[in-house]
Amino acid sequence: MKFGNLVIAGLVTGSIYAVFAVCVSVWYRVSNILNLAVGDFAMAGALGVDNLYRVKSWPLPAAIAATLVVVAVFAVAYDLVVLRLAQDGPRRQEGIVITFFFTFALSFFIDGVAKILFGTDVHAAPALWNGASLTVLSTLHIERAGLLVLACAVLIGSAFWLYIRYTLGGKAMEACGENPLGARIAGIDTRRYRRLIFVGTAVIAAVFGIVESPITGFTYLSGATISLTGFIAAAYGGFRKPGRALLAGLAIGILEALLGGYVSAEYGDTVLYAILAALVLAWPRAMGFESAVTG
Amino acid sequence: MTADPPALAVRGLSVAYGDMVAVHDATFTIAPGQACAITGPNGNGKSSILMGIAGLIRRRGGVEIFGAPAPSGDVRWAARHGLTLVPERRQLYPGLSAADNILLGCYGWTRSLRRARTSGPFGTALDLFPELRPHLRQSAGTLSGGQQQMVAIMRGLAAAPKILAVDEPCLGLAEVVARRVYDALAAIHEAGTTLIVVEEAPKRALTICDRRVEVRNGVAIAR
Repeated sequence: MKFGNLVIAGLVTGSIYAVFAVCVSVWYRVSNILNLAVGDFAMAGALGVDNLYRVKSWPLPAAIAATLVVVAVFAVAYDLVVLRLAQDGPRRQEGIVITFFFTFALSFFIDGVAKILFGTDVHAAPALWNGASLTVLSTLHIERAGLLVLACAVLIGSAFWLYIRYTLGGKAMEACGENPLGARIAGIDTRRYRRLIFVGTAVIAAVFGIVESPITGFTYLSGATISLTGFIAAAYGGFRKPGRALLAGLAIGILEALLGGYVSAEYGDTVLYAILAALVLAWPRAMGFESAVTG
Repeated sequence: MTADPPALAVRGLSVAYGDMVAVHDATFTIAPGQACAITGPNGNGKSSILMGIAGLIRRRGGVEIFGAPAPSGDVRWAARHGLTLVPERRQLYPGLSAADNILLGCYGWTRSLRRARTSGPFGTALDLFPELRPHLRQSAGTLSGGQQQMVAIMRGLAAAPKILAVDEPCLGLAEVVARRVYDALAAIHEAGTTLIVVEEAPKRALTICDRRVEVRNGVAIAR
Protein backbone atom coordinates (compact mmCIF):
# COMPACT_ATOMS: atom_id res chain seq x y z
CA MET A 1 0.00 0.00 0.00
CA LYS A 2 2.86 2.30 -0.83
CA PHE A 3 0.57 4.40 -3.03
CA GLY A 4 -2.04 4.90 -0.30
CA ASN A 5 0.57 5.88 2.26
CA LEU A 6 2.19 8.31 -0.16
CA VAL A 7 -1.19 9.90 -0.85
CA ILE A 8 -1.83 10.27 2.90
CA ALA A 9 1.58 11.83 3.45
CA GLY A 10 0.96 14.07 0.42
CA LEU A 11 -2.45 15.11 1.79
CA VAL A 12 -0.83 16.19 5.05
CA THR A 13 1.88 18.28 3.35
CA GLY A 14 -0.66 19.43 0.79
CA SER A 15 -3.04 20.64 3.45
CA ILE A 16 -0.24 22.79 4.84
CA TYR A 17 0.38 24.31 1.41
CA ALA A 18 -3.37 24.62 0.97
CA VAL A 19 -3.84 26.59 4.19
CA PHE A 20 -0.94 28.88 3.36
CA ALA A 21 -2.31 29.36 -0.16
CA VAL A 22 -5.72 30.22 1.33
CA CYS A 23 -4.08 32.69 3.73
CA VAL A 24 -2.18 34.33 0.85
CA SER A 25 -5.20 34.59 -1.44
CA VAL A 26 -7.70 35.72 1.20
CA TRP A 27 -5.42 38.55 2.26
CA TYR A 28 -4.64 39.45 -1.36
CA ARG A 29 -8.37 39.67 -1.95
CA VAL A 30 -8.65 42.18 0.87
CA SER A 31 -5.53 44.26 0.46
CA ASN A 32 -4.09 43.58 -3.01
CA ILE A 33 -0.81 42.74 -1.27
CA LEU A 34 0.81 39.30 -1.52
CA ASN A 35 1.98 38.07 1.85
CA LEU A 36 5.39 36.53 1.21
CA ALA A 37 6.05 36.32 4.93
CA VAL A 38 3.23 33.92 5.77
CA GLY A 39 5.63 30.93 6.05
CA ASP A 40 7.93 32.95 8.29
CA PHE A 41 5.11 33.39 10.78
CA ALA A 42 4.79 29.59 10.80
CA MET A 43 8.50 29.25 11.46
CA ALA A 44 8.30 31.86 14.23
CA GLY A 45 5.42 29.90 15.81
CA ALA A 46 7.26 26.58 15.74
CA LEU A 47 10.66 27.85 16.89
CA GLY A 48 9.16 30.27 19.42
CA VAL A 49 7.22 27.51 21.18
CA ASP A 50 10.24 25.20 21.06
CA ASN A 51 12.46 27.87 22.56
CA LEU A 52 10.10 28.80 25.39
CA TYR A 53 9.21 25.17 26.20
CA ARG A 54 12.56 23.39 25.78
CA VAL A 55 15.13 26.11 26.54
CA LYS A 56 13.23 28.36 28.95
CA SER A 57 11.21 25.45 30.47
CA TRP A 58 7.83 27.19 30.24
CA PRO A 59 4.71 25.02 30.48
CA LEU A 60 3.54 24.11 26.95
CA PRO A 61 0.16 25.95 27.01
CA ALA A 62 1.88 29.12 28.25
CA ALA A 63 4.59 28.79 25.60
CA ILE A 64 1.98 28.42 22.83
CA ALA A 65 -0.17 31.30 24.13
CA ALA A 66 2.83 33.62 24.53
CA THR A 67 4.16 32.82 21.05
CA LEU A 68 0.79 33.45 19.41
CA VAL A 69 0.37 36.73 21.30
CA VAL A 70 3.84 37.88 20.21
CA VAL A 71 3.07 36.98 16.57
CA ALA A 72 -0.27 38.83 16.72
CA VAL A 73 1.19 41.93 18.37
CA PHE A 74 4.05 42.01 15.88
CA ALA A 75 1.63 41.68 12.95
CA VAL A 76 -0.54 44.53 14.31
CA ALA A 77 2.55 46.70 14.74
CA TYR A 78 3.78 45.92 11.24
CA ASP A 79 0.41 46.84 9.79
CA LEU A 80 0.11 50.05 11.80
CA VAL A 81 3.63 51.24 11.13
CA VAL A 82 4.73 49.90 7.74
CA LEU A 83 1.64 48.87 5.76
CA ARG A 84 -0.41 51.88 6.81
CA LEU A 85 2.31 54.25 5.67
CA ALA A 86 2.92 52.22 2.51
CA GLN A 87 -0.71 51.90 1.44
CA ASP A 88 -2.59 54.77 3.08
CA GLY A 89 0.02 57.45 3.76
CA PRO A 90 0.53 60.68 1.81
CA ARG A 91 3.37 59.04 -0.15
CA ARG A 92 1.62 55.78 -0.72
CA GLN A 93 3.12 53.14 -2.96
CA GLU A 94 1.34 51.48 -5.82
CA GLY A 95 1.80 48.56 -8.19
CA ILE A 96 4.51 46.00 -7.74
CA VAL A 97 6.21 47.92 -4.92
CA ILE A 98 3.29 47.55 -2.54
CA THR A 99 2.28 44.13 -3.90
CA PHE A 100 5.59 42.43 -3.16
CA PHE A 101 8.30 44.47 -1.53
CA PHE A 102 7.02 45.17 1.95
CA THR A 103 6.16 41.56 2.80
CA PHE A 104 9.31 40.33 1.07
CA ALA A 105 11.34 42.60 3.33
CA LEU A 106 9.29 41.42 6.29
CA SER A 107 10.19 37.82 5.45
CA PHE A 108 13.93 38.62 5.55
CA PHE A 109 13.47 40.58 8.74
CA ILE A 110 11.70 37.74 10.56
CA ASP A 111 14.31 35.24 9.34
CA GLY A 112 17.11 37.47 10.60
CA VAL A 113 15.56 37.91 14.03
CA ALA A 114 14.84 34.16 14.23
CA LYS A 115 18.46 33.37 13.41
CA ILE A 116 19.63 35.53 16.31
CA LEU A 117 17.01 34.21 18.74
CA PHE A 118 16.86 30.52 17.83
CA GLY A 119 20.14 29.75 16.05
CA THR A 120 20.53 27.78 12.84
CA ASP A 121 19.76 24.21 14.01
CA VAL A 122 16.67 22.20 13.18
CA HIS A 123 14.07 22.41 15.97
CA ALA A 124 10.42 21.55 16.39
CA ALA A 125 7.65 22.42 18.80
CA PRO A 126 6.82 19.43 21.00
CA ALA A 127 4.20 17.05 19.60
CA LEU A 128 0.74 18.04 20.79
CA TRP A 129 -0.61 14.51 20.46
CA ASN A 130 1.94 11.90 21.48
CA GLY A 131 1.97 8.24 20.47
CA ALA A 132 2.77 5.89 17.61
CA SER A 133 1.36 6.57 14.16
CA LEU A 134 -2.21 5.39 13.63
CA THR A 135 -3.01 2.48 11.31
CA VAL A 136 -6.09 2.52 9.11
CA LEU A 137 -7.33 -0.52 7.12
CA SER A 138 -4.28 -2.43 8.49
CA THR A 139 -1.87 -1.03 5.86
CA LEU A 140 -2.33 2.76 5.81
CA HIS A 141 -0.32 4.75 8.33
CA ILE A 142 -0.91 8.30 9.41
CA GLU A 143 1.06 10.21 12.00
CA ARG A 144 -0.90 11.82 14.81
CA ALA A 145 0.62 15.23 14.04
CA GLY A 146 -0.49 14.72 10.42
CA LEU A 147 -4.05 14.07 11.55
CA LEU A 148 -3.95 17.27 13.62
CA VAL A 149 -2.69 19.20 10.58
CA LEU A 150 -5.52 17.82 8.44
CA ALA A 151 -8.11 18.62 11.12
CA CYS A 152 -6.81 22.19 11.47
CA ALA A 153 -6.81 22.62 7.67
CA VAL A 154 -10.43 21.46 7.40
CA LEU A 155 -11.44 23.69 10.31
CA ILE A 156 -9.70 26.80 9.00
CA GLY A 157 -10.76 26.20 5.38
CA SER A 158 -14.42 25.83 6.34
CA ALA A 159 -14.29 28.82 8.70
CA PHE A 160 -13.01 31.04 5.89
CA TRP A 161 -15.57 29.64 3.46
CA LEU A 162 -18.48 30.19 5.87
CA TYR A 163 -17.24 33.69 6.71
CA ILE A 164 -16.97 34.79 3.08
CA ARG A 165 -20.18 33.16 1.94
CA TYR A 166 -22.57 33.69 4.82
CA THR A 167 -21.65 36.93 6.56
CA LEU A 168 -21.90 40.56 5.53
CA GLY A 169 -18.43 41.07 7.02
CA GLY A 170 -17.06 38.42 4.65
CA LYS A 171 -18.63 40.14 1.65
CA ALA A 172 -17.32 43.49 2.89
CA MET A 173 -13.88 41.93 3.12
CA GLU A 174 -14.11 40.90 -0.53
CA ALA A 175 -15.36 44.34 -1.49
CA CYS A 176 -12.19 45.88 0.03
CA GLY A 177 -10.01 44.11 -2.52
CA GLU A 178 -12.48 44.42 -5.39
CA ASN A 179 -12.71 48.18 -5.10
CA PRO A 180 -11.22 49.92 -2.04
CA LEU A 181 -12.79 53.25 -2.96
CA GLY A 182 -16.21 51.68 -3.53
CA ALA A 183 -15.87 49.88 -0.20
CA ARG A 184 -15.16 53.10 1.70
CA ILE A 185 -18.15 54.77 0.05
CA ALA A 186 -20.33 52.00 1.51
CA GLY A 187 -18.88 52.78 4.96
CA ILE A 188 -16.49 49.80 5.03
CA ASP A 189 -13.25 50.32 6.95
CA THR A 190 -10.78 48.87 4.42
CA ARG A 191 -7.80 49.40 6.72
CA ARG A 192 -9.45 47.50 9.54
CA TYR A 193 -10.11 44.51 7.29
CA ARG A 194 -6.56 44.57 5.97
CA ARG A 195 -5.27 44.50 9.53
CA LEU A 196 -7.78 41.92 10.73
CA ILE A 197 -6.96 39.42 7.99
CA PHE A 198 -3.22 40.08 8.13
CA VAL A 199 -3.12 39.41 11.86
CA GLY A 200 -5.57 36.51 11.56
CA THR A 201 -3.54 34.76 8.85
CA ALA A 202 -0.28 35.37 10.73
CA VAL A 203 -1.72 33.66 13.80
CA ILE A 204 -3.16 30.81 11.70
CA ALA A 205 0.27 30.35 10.09
CA ALA A 206 1.92 30.28 13.52
CA VAL A 207 -0.59 27.66 14.73
CA PHE A 208 0.20 25.56 11.67
CA GLY A 209 3.91 25.86 12.30
CA ILE A 210 3.41 24.62 15.84
CA VAL A 211 1.19 21.70 14.82
CA GLU A 212 3.26 20.68 11.80
CA SER A 213 6.84 21.13 13.03
CA PRO A 214 7.02 17.73 14.83
CA ILE A 215 6.68 16.10 11.37
CA THR A 216 9.37 17.97 9.44
CA GLY A 217 11.31 20.12 11.91
CA PHE A 218 12.01 23.81 11.24
CA THR A 219 15.06 26.00 10.85
CA TYR A 220 15.01 29.78 10.69
CA LEU A 221 14.94 29.44 6.88
CA SER A 222 12.03 26.98 6.60
CA GLY A 223 9.44 29.73 6.33
CA ALA A 224 10.56 30.89 2.90
CA THR A 225 10.08 27.43 1.36
CA ILE A 226 6.56 27.11 2.76
CA SER A 227 5.71 30.63 1.61
CA LEU A 228 6.97 29.82 -1.87
CA THR A 229 4.86 26.68 -2.26
CA GLY A 230 1.82 28.37 -0.72
CA PHE A 231 2.41 31.29 -3.06
CA ILE A 232 2.55 29.00 -6.10
CA ALA A 233 -0.64 27.23 -5.02
CA ALA A 234 -2.31 30.61 -4.55
CA ALA A 235 -1.15 31.63 -8.03
CA TYR A 236 -2.97 28.61 -9.48
CA GLY A 237 -6.10 30.14 -8.01
CA GLY A 238 -5.36 33.48 -9.63
CA PHE A 239 -4.46 34.78 -6.12
CA ARG A 240 -8.11 35.66 -5.64
CA LYS A 241 -9.84 32.31 -5.39
CA PRO A 242 -9.19 30.66 -2.02
CA GLY A 243 -11.13 27.53 -3.04
CA ARG A 244 -8.94 26.88 -6.06
CA ALA A 245 -5.83 27.76 -4.10
CA LEU A 246 -6.81 25.14 -1.53
CA LEU A 247 -7.25 22.43 -4.18
CA ALA A 248 -3.98 23.43 -5.85
CA GLY A 249 -2.16 23.21 -2.50
CA LEU A 250 -3.51 19.70 -1.89
CA ALA A 251 -2.62 18.60 -5.45
CA ILE A 252 0.92 19.94 -5.13
CA GLY A 253 1.37 18.11 -1.81
CA ILE A 254 0.17 14.79 -3.24
CA LEU A 255 2.22 15.21 -6.43
CA GLU A 256 5.30 16.00 -4.36
CA ALA A 257 4.85 12.85 -2.23
CA LEU A 258 4.23 10.63 -5.26
CA LEU A 259 7.25 12.00 -7.11
CA GLY A 260 9.39 11.54 -4.00
CA GLY A 261 8.16 7.95 -3.61
CA TYR A 262 8.14 6.71 -7.19
CA VAL A 263 10.52 8.93 -9.17
CA SER A 264 13.33 10.16 -7.00
CA ALA A 265 13.58 11.24 -3.40
CA GLU A 266 16.49 13.46 -4.33
CA TYR A 267 15.13 15.16 -7.43
CA GLY A 268 11.42 14.97 -6.56
CA ASP A 269 11.15 18.71 -5.91
CA THR A 270 12.98 19.58 -9.12
CA VAL A 271 10.63 17.40 -11.17
CA LEU A 272 7.66 18.87 -9.28
CA TYR A 273 8.59 22.46 -10.13
CA ALA A 274 9.27 21.43 -13.74
CA ILE A 275 5.76 19.95 -13.97
CA LEU A 276 4.20 23.03 -12.35
CA ALA A 277 6.04 25.32 -14.76
CA ALA A 278 5.05 23.17 -17.74
CA LEU A 279 1.37 23.30 -16.71
CA VAL A 280 1.48 27.08 -16.58
CA LEU A 281 3.17 27.30 -19.97
CA ALA A 282 0.68 24.92 -21.54
CA TRP A 283 -2.57 26.28 -20.07
CA PRO A 284 -1.97 29.72 -18.52
CA ARG A 285 -5.65 30.61 -18.57
CA ALA A 286 -6.93 27.35 -17.10
CA MET A 287 -4.26 27.50 -14.43
CA GLY A 288 -5.50 30.90 -13.32
CA PHE A 289 -2.29 32.71 -14.16
CA GLU A 290 -3.87 35.07 -16.60
CA SER A 291 -6.23 36.47 -13.99
CA ALA A 292 -3.31 36.57 -11.56
CA VAL A 293 -1.61 39.05 -13.84
CA THR A 294 -4.56 41.03 -15.09
CA GLY A 295 -6.54 40.91 -11.82
CA MET B 1 -34.89 79.06 19.58
CA THR B 2 -33.59 75.99 17.82
CA ALA B 3 -34.52 75.77 14.17
CA ASP B 4 -34.04 72.41 12.45
CA PRO B 5 -30.59 72.32 10.90
CA PRO B 6 -30.36 72.13 7.11
CA ALA B 7 -29.72 68.70 5.59
CA LEU B 8 -26.48 70.03 4.19
CA ALA B 9 -24.67 73.28 4.92
CA VAL B 10 -21.56 74.10 2.89
CA ARG B 11 -19.52 77.11 3.95
CA GLY B 12 -16.44 78.40 2.14
CA LEU B 13 -15.62 75.02 0.60
CA SER B 14 -12.44 74.95 -1.50
CA VAL B 15 -10.82 72.02 -3.25
CA ALA B 16 -7.35 72.08 -4.79
CA TYR B 17 -5.35 69.49 -6.71
CA GLY B 18 -1.76 70.53 -6.04
CA ASP B 19 -1.55 74.17 -7.14
CA MET B 20 -4.71 73.97 -9.24
CA VAL B 21 -7.77 75.29 -7.42
CA ALA B 22 -10.81 73.35 -8.65
CA VAL B 23 -13.43 74.86 -6.34
CA HIS B 24 -13.19 78.28 -4.74
CA ASP B 25 -15.14 79.25 -1.65
CA ALA B 26 -18.47 77.53 -2.36
CA THR B 27 -21.30 78.32 0.07
CA PHE B 28 -24.86 76.98 -0.04
CA THR B 29 -27.38 75.06 2.04
CA ILE B 30 -29.90 72.39 1.16
CA ALA B 31 -33.03 71.96 3.28
CA PRO B 32 -34.28 68.50 4.30
CA GLY B 33 -36.39 66.97 1.56
CA GLN B 34 -35.11 69.26 -1.17
CA ALA B 35 -33.73 68.04 -4.48
CA CYS B 36 -30.77 70.11 -5.59
CA ALA B 37 -28.99 69.99 -8.93
CA ILE B 38 -25.32 70.93 -9.10
CA THR B 39 -24.82 71.85 -12.73
CA GLY B 40 -22.17 73.29 -14.99
CA PRO B 41 -19.86 72.40 -17.84
CA ASN B 42 -17.43 69.50 -17.47
CA GLY B 43 -14.17 70.31 -15.75
CA ASN B 44 -15.61 73.30 -13.89
CA GLY B 45 -15.55 71.70 -10.46
CA LYS B 46 -19.03 70.33 -9.79
CA SER B 47 -17.88 66.78 -9.09
CA SER B 48 -15.07 68.16 -6.94
CA ILE B 49 -17.68 69.97 -4.80
CA LEU B 50 -19.59 66.73 -4.32
CA MET B 51 -16.44 64.70 -3.58
CA GLY B 52 -15.30 67.37 -1.11
CA ILE B 53 -18.68 67.24 0.65
CA ALA B 54 -18.72 63.44 0.75
CA GLY B 55 -15.14 63.25 2.00
CA LEU B 56 -13.67 61.46 -1.01
CA ILE B 57 -11.06 64.19 -1.38
CA ARG B 58 -9.58 66.65 1.10
CA ARG B 59 -11.10 70.10 1.18
CA ARG B 60 -11.00 73.34 3.09
CA GLY B 61 -14.04 75.03 4.56
CA GLY B 62 -16.95 73.69 6.56
CA VAL B 63 -19.51 71.02 5.74
CA GLU B 64 -22.34 70.15 8.10
CA ILE B 65 -24.68 67.21 7.63
CA PHE B 66 -27.88 67.73 9.63
CA GLY B 67 -25.94 70.08 11.89
CA ALA B 68 -22.98 67.75 12.52
CA PRO B 69 -19.63 69.11 11.27
CA ALA B 70 -18.09 66.64 8.79
CA PRO B 71 -14.34 66.00 8.98
CA SER B 72 -12.41 66.55 5.77
CA GLY B 73 -11.45 63.51 3.71
CA ASP B 74 -13.47 60.90 5.60
CA VAL B 75 -16.02 59.31 3.29
CA ARG B 76 -16.98 56.72 5.91
CA TRP B 77 -18.02 59.48 8.31
CA ALA B 78 -20.39 60.91 5.71
CA ALA B 79 -21.81 57.44 5.01
CA ARG B 80 -22.42 56.84 8.72
CA HIS B 81 -24.13 60.22 9.11
CA GLY B 82 -26.70 59.74 6.39
CA LEU B 83 -25.01 61.06 3.27
CA THR B 84 -24.59 58.30 0.72
CA LEU B 85 -22.70 58.87 -2.49
CA VAL B 86 -23.46 57.21 -5.81
CA PRO B 87 -20.15 58.12 -7.39
CA GLU B 88 -19.16 58.83 -10.95
CA ARG B 89 -18.09 55.61 -12.70
CA ARG B 90 -20.20 53.78 -10.09
CA GLN B 91 -17.33 52.14 -8.17
CA LEU B 92 -19.02 48.74 -7.88
CA TYR B 93 -17.33 45.49 -6.83
CA PRO B 94 -17.08 43.80 -10.25
CA GLY B 95 -16.33 40.27 -9.00
CA LEU B 96 -19.28 40.18 -6.58
CA SER B 97 -22.84 39.50 -7.65
CA ALA B 98 -25.24 42.38 -8.23
CA ALA B 99 -27.20 41.27 -5.14
CA ASP B 100 -24.06 41.34 -2.97
CA ASN B 101 -23.19 44.78 -4.31
CA ILE B 102 -26.61 46.05 -3.23
CA LEU B 103 -26.47 44.19 0.11
CA LEU B 104 -23.19 45.88 0.96
CA GLY B 105 -25.04 49.18 0.88
CA CYS B 106 -26.54 48.00 4.20
CA TYR B 107 -23.09 47.72 5.77
CA GLY B 108 -23.34 51.28 7.12
CA TRP B 109 -26.14 50.31 9.50
CA THR B 110 -25.85 46.55 10.13
CA ARG B 111 -23.28 43.75 10.22
CA SER B 112 -25.90 41.00 9.99
CA LEU B 113 -26.45 39.46 6.56
CA ARG B 114 -29.89 38.20 7.59
CA ARG B 115 -30.99 41.60 8.87
CA ALA B 116 -29.71 43.22 5.68
CA ARG B 117 -31.56 40.73 3.45
CA THR B 118 -34.88 41.16 5.24
CA SER B 119 -34.57 44.90 5.76
CA GLY B 120 -36.85 47.63 4.43
CA PRO B 121 -34.07 49.58 2.67
CA PHE B 122 -32.84 46.45 0.81
CA GLY B 123 -36.42 45.62 -0.23
CA THR B 124 -37.02 49.21 -1.38
CA ALA B 125 -33.78 49.08 -3.36
CA LEU B 126 -34.82 45.85 -5.12
CA ASP B 127 -38.26 47.27 -5.91
CA LEU B 128 -36.72 50.38 -7.45
CA PHE B 129 -35.56 48.50 -10.57
CA PRO B 130 -37.61 45.29 -10.86
CA GLU B 131 -36.10 44.70 -14.34
CA LEU B 132 -32.79 43.88 -12.62
CA ARG B 133 -34.19 40.90 -10.70
CA PRO B 134 -33.16 38.26 -13.30
CA HIS B 135 -29.58 39.59 -13.12
CA LEU B 136 -29.11 39.73 -9.36
CA ARG B 137 -26.87 36.65 -9.27
CA GLN B 138 -24.72 37.88 -12.14
CA SER B 139 -21.27 39.40 -11.41
CA ALA B 140 -21.60 43.17 -11.42
CA GLY B 141 -18.66 43.45 -13.80
CA THR B 142 -20.57 41.57 -16.51
CA LEU B 143 -23.66 43.82 -16.40
CA SER B 144 -24.32 46.50 -19.02
CA GLY B 145 -23.50 50.12 -18.19
CA GLY B 146 -27.15 50.93 -17.52
CA GLN B 147 -27.61 47.91 -15.27
CA GLN B 148 -24.44 48.84 -13.37
CA GLN B 149 -25.78 52.34 -12.81
CA MET B 150 -28.99 50.82 -11.47
CA VAL B 151 -27.00 48.61 -9.08
CA ALA B 152 -25.01 51.65 -7.90
CA ILE B 153 -28.22 53.59 -7.14
CA MET B 154 -29.71 50.51 -5.45
CA ARG B 155 -26.60 50.12 -3.29
CA GLY B 156 -26.96 53.78 -2.34
CA LEU B 157 -30.62 53.30 -1.44
CA ALA B 158 -29.90 50.17 0.63
CA ALA B 159 -27.81 52.40 2.89
CA ALA B 160 -31.08 54.04 4.00
CA PRO B 161 -29.66 57.48 3.23
CA LYS B 162 -31.08 60.75 4.49
CA ILE B 163 -29.22 62.46 1.65
CA LEU B 164 -28.49 60.64 -1.60
CA ALA B 165 -25.80 62.33 -3.68
CA VAL B 166 -25.62 61.09 -7.26
CA ASP B 167 -22.69 62.07 -9.48
CA GLU B 168 -23.39 62.15 -13.24
CA PRO B 169 -25.98 59.35 -13.16
CA CYS B 170 -26.50 59.28 -16.92
CA LEU B 171 -22.92 59.48 -18.17
CA GLY B 172 -22.60 57.19 -21.19
CA LEU B 173 -26.14 55.79 -20.91
CA ALA B 174 -28.67 55.46 -23.73
CA GLU B 175 -31.52 57.98 -23.60
CA VAL B 176 -34.13 55.39 -22.67
CA VAL B 177 -32.02 54.11 -19.76
CA ALA B 178 -31.21 57.66 -18.63
CA ARG B 179 -34.93 58.40 -18.48
CA ARG B 180 -35.48 55.25 -16.41
CA VAL B 181 -32.72 56.31 -14.01
CA TYR B 182 -34.28 59.76 -13.61
CA ASP B 183 -37.71 58.24 -12.94
CA ALA B 184 -36.13 56.23 -10.14
CA LEU B 185 -34.37 59.29 -8.70
CA ALA B 186 -37.68 61.16 -8.76
CA ALA B 187 -39.31 58.28 -6.86
CA ILE B 188 -36.53 58.34 -4.25
CA HIS B 189 -37.05 62.08 -3.77
CA GLU B 190 -40.81 61.72 -3.52
CA ALA B 191 -40.32 59.15 -0.77
CA GLY B 192 -38.72 61.93 1.30
CA THR B 193 -34.99 61.54 0.71
CA THR B 194 -32.97 64.70 0.19
CA LEU B 195 -31.37 64.46 -3.22
CA ILE B 196 -28.27 66.01 -4.76
CA VAL B 197 -27.69 65.40 -8.45
CA VAL B 198 -24.53 66.47 -10.25
CA GLU B 199 -25.34 66.83 -13.91
CA GLU B 200 -23.78 68.54 -16.88
CA ALA B 201 -27.14 69.13 -18.58
CA PRO B 202 -29.31 71.28 -16.30
CA LYS B 203 -32.41 70.63 -18.38
CA ARG B 204 -32.69 66.99 -17.36
CA ALA B 205 -31.71 67.60 -13.73
CA LEU B 206 -34.29 70.34 -13.33
CA THR B 207 -37.11 67.97 -14.26
CA ILE B 208 -36.80 66.52 -10.76
CA CYS B 209 -34.86 69.18 -8.79
CA ASP B 210 -36.46 72.14 -7.07
CA ARG B 211 -33.26 74.14 -6.82
CA ARG B 212 -29.91 74.48 -8.45
CA VAL B 213 -26.30 75.37 -7.70
CA GLU B 214 -24.44 76.38 -10.82
CA VAL B 215 -20.67 75.94 -10.96
CA ARG B 216 -18.54 77.95 -13.38
CA ASN B 217 -14.75 77.94 -13.24
CA GLY B 218 -14.77 76.61 -9.70
CA VAL B 219 -17.20 79.25 -8.43
CA ALA B 220 -20.57 78.06 -7.15
CA ILE B 221 -23.64 80.27 -7.55
CA ALA B 222 -26.74 79.15 -5.66
CA ARG B 223 -29.92 79.90 -7.61
